[in-house]
Amino acid sequence: MAAVLLPYLYTGGVHKHWLILELLEDLGGYLIQKMVTGTEVNLIMLIPEKDVHLIKEVSDELRGVMLEAPLTGVEIAVVSPTLASHHLPHSACDVAEYLRHPGANTNMIGLARGMGRRVSLSKDFERKLINEHDLAVFTFGSFSDCIINKKPKLFEGIEIPIVVTGGPELRTEDVPGADLYIGNIGRVAHRLKKGEEICALDGLNEGVAELVGKIRKELSKDPLAVLPARVMKEIENQIPEIHNVLSPGAITLQLNGLRVKLPYEEFHERIEKLEFDEGVFLGELAKITRSKMKNYILIKIKYKSEVGFAI
Amino acid sequence: MDALETFIVEAAIPSEAGFYKKIVEDNISSLKLAPAIGRIRVILRPEDSLFQMVIILREIGTSLKTADIADVEAKVATEQHVLITIKKEQYLPDLLRLLWKRYGKANISQPDRWTVAINVERPLEEAPLIRDMVVADPRHTLHENLVDFAIRVTPEGFRVRYHLFKGRRFVFVASEEAMKKEWIEEAGAMLEELERTKGGK
Repeated sequence: MAAVLLPYLYTGGVHKHWLILELLEDLGGYLIQKMVTGTEVNLIMLIPEKDVHLIKEVSDELRGVMLEAPLTGVEIAVVSPTLASHHLPHSACDVAEYLRHPGANTNMIGLARGMGRRVSLSKDFERKLINEHDLAVFTFGSFSDCIINKKPKLFEGIEIPIVVTGGPELRTEDVPGADLYIGNIGRVAHRLKKGEEICALDGLNEGVAELVGKIRKELSKDPLAVLPARVMKEIENQIPEIHNVLSPGAITLQLNGLRVKLPYEEFHERIEKLEFDEGVFLGELAKITRSKMKNYILIKIKYKSEVGFAI
Repeated sequence: MDALETFIVEAAIPSEAGFYKKIVEDNISSLKLAPAIGRIRVILRPEDSLFQMVIILREIGTSLKTADIADVEAKVATEQHVLITIKKEQYLPDLLRLLWKRYGKANISQPDRWTVAINVERPLEEAPLIRDMVVADPRHTLHENLVDFAIRVTPEGFRVRYHLFKGRRFVFVASEEAMKKEWIEEAGAMLEELERTKGGK
């Protein structure tokens, strides 16, 4: 049985941080993302459950901080009704930025015609793009009438869990189609920095982490044929061109797949032929398609029940 | 009339009016409209897709000349130049733009942030000209900012708009549906009421 991996975020100095990386590799963990900012480094890692204390010891020696990052390996779409100044940059960008703290990768999506009550609508392309993610956070405005009666039509065709943020305090069951509603994050024209606003963002992170926990639990009943983090490591080893990609998060992990930021035509065959130690190819374990985002490659890993085995 | 002596935002649900008041406030401050607005009243009816706003402006300042924002001296003793000492820095970009156009960038130097020196052949003749140059017209920028403000505070989907800017009165009605005559009349009545009120936020 595969080891249970726990997501952690290490923050510390660049000096000697490779000691952590070397130990992580020896223990069979995975490095998901490494961000160096000046003399600081942030490492998002998946660590085998029983070995977490070993990494913590090294982290303490280096005077770094280890934090649990429950949203590691989750790609979230933050959907705003449009890209106009009414919705952006405040509230929607703050929501996206705050969700990154516990390790999530967020993409901002502004709908072309999402504004208004009667006239708001989403396009087929937009729905497909949102469905590529693990979870969607819709950032709505200040009026309960709009949130309850008008805006839920934007959820039509969305197959992933939906989190809604808005100004008024409502119950989740009041908003049709939403899996979670978080109040106090409505339309604002300033940065979210007041006490109650930060509290609401904390509530959002907790709520989303809980939702992701539920999805993970459901996933554990019929596990994936291969761990997305393992696929990530194999891509890094077998397709060296990935190291030349300048996009942030060249390989973005999802709960049930990955987004690889390489052009589809050139690389999809090599990704299909990615070989694992057990002798199986990725093409047998996953569906590899062209992503709706730019010309990227989207990998959705099949379930154990579908493939018949898991590695 | 004091700045923002009346500031009312109304909606059917008081807490939602509170949220919206904050949006209006933020936009007033980011467009620096607070000194220009005397009274403002906003009514929101999301169930009818309706936004109504009436504003009474305060006395609008007259146009500003260089003499209002800086001291201009002609120096003829050693070198021939005009020396401008800035008093209100906010208008410096506008002033510089005008000076560059008239004298060329090569003839203008800024030894420090409060000083502009212009090399000219006849400083004594040029200095009065520079002193009387119109640098900024608050009326023009106010009109621009007010229109921008109205569009920013309106819910984005409300694209059917009516506006009236006459003297110191500004009426703005926006909706998602076809504009109704009674909505504009209501806004007119709001304006009259606002003119009668005195103070109170």
